[in-house]
Amino acid sequence: MSDASPEDPDLYAQNYEPWLFQTMLDELSASELGIGFVYSVLDLLALRYQLTDAIVVLVHESFGTQSFRLGRQSVLPELVESLGGVAGVYCDPDVVPDIERDAVRTACQLALSLHLARFSAAHDPLTNIANRRAFDTALQASSVRSARYGWAFTLVLCDLNDFKAVNDRSGHAYGDDILRQFGFALRLSVRQGDTAARIGGDEFAVILSNAEGNESAGFIDRLRANLESAGVQIEFTVGVAASPHDSTDPVELFRIADARLYEKKGIKH
Amino acid sequence: MSPTEEDFELELRSLPGVLNVGISHRASGDVDAVKLVIHGQDCAAIKTIASQIASLYYPDATVSVEDASQASTHRIAETSRVALVRADFNADDGICEVQLSYDGRTGLGRAGSGQLFGGAEATLTALRDLGFEIPFYLLAAVSVATVRGWPVIVTLRSPSSDRDMLGIAQSERDLVSSSMATLDALNRFLATSQKKE
Repeated sequence: MSDASPEDPDLYAQNYEPWLFQTMLDELSASELGIGFVYSVLDLLALRYQLTDAIVVLVHESFGTQSFRLGRQSVLPELVESLGGVAGVYCDPDVVPDIERDAVRTACQLALSLHLARFSAAHDPLTNIANRRAFDTALQASSVRSARYGWAFTLVLCDLNDFKAVNDRSGHAYGDDILRQFGFALRLSVRQGDTAARIGGDEFAVILSNAEGNESAGFIDRLRANLESAGVQIEFTVGVAASPHDSTDPVELFRIADARLYEKKGIKH
Repeated sequence: MSPTEEDFELELRSLPGVLNVGISHRASGDVDAVKLVIHGQDCAAIKTIASQIASLYYPDATVSVEDASQASTHRIAETSRVALVRADFNADDGICEVQLSYDGRTGLGRAGSGQLFGGAEATLTALRDLGFEIPFYLLAAVSVATVRGWPVIVTLRSPSSDRDMLGIAQSERDLVSSSMATLDALNRFLATSQKKE
């Protein structure tokens, strides 16, 4: 560590040890930039300056004001309020040079933005389940494993019945609420390792890992039970296809599940 | 911190009005409790949604929600306090800059009369920036030697009477001491006024 003090700007700049940037690089090599990085940087800042407490306040265009405290501790509401939404790094004792505070704040801001960008790229914003892009990637990966190793999985397509009429009758805000609650019920109904996705307006898809076709019945029962307990008044139709039984090609598998769904709805393509 | 925990916290922070998420863990490493601090939203509604999100990731975790604006209102009603957010001195141009917060708003003041006088003047300017009518002008700001250090004493005088208000504070820097002493003087004035009411 340099002995230069921030009171001697020239000397300090010459001897400034870019520990934070090295830390960022180390952290990046171990994991992606995200909220975890914010806490890692606060931990290192506390270790370096023997801080008993540290809070970084960020003002983000999507999240608004956000505060992160050393050790993932909660911040007293009074303290949050008194910081008044002013972005910065607040330390106890107050010994961290401004140049390092600024670097920490900027790095944390970047980490939060990148985490949100990564999350948004893979999730549907209304329901917070996987979006079409993430679903296609998961279906492709499952199909490859099924073709190569014979690992079974089941694709379930769900379509809400008469959703357009719900929107027309009760308004789009109500319709969005139904979609949100259906998405939440899907998340509750799948097991760890399964993928639930919103792939269109009122179309959802689920990849049940390590499942033969008949496991889908258990999933559908759980989904109906979760919708009922949440008081969601909407019916849905499903189409199911199993891999490798029906196909190991993702496009063909999707086509089969889709055809079965429309068959149940009494619609011919 | 696992990617799952990161996404969990991100989802909670995406909820409207959430300012802070505190998470505590059990010895086993599982998430034990989640505490949200929010502003300007319905606590009960946010708690319901946050509990739903928690049930997806950590079904055994307890969720609590606190409203920062409620806490702040309570605190201000009790003590009529204005908080010092920061006080900086620019050695190049000799300008003191003080930022205060009150009731979720911030006010900024600048003055160029050195750290003692400048800190007090900048604090009065920041208070006016917050919309306060300050019935005093700055009479003196001095640091005094004591056995415990160099506290700063600020004296404010009312133009309409001979009544002076004194404030005292001590911190690591004269600027911060001066600013805090000014607030101390005004808080004494507010406390006295409230008692009279």
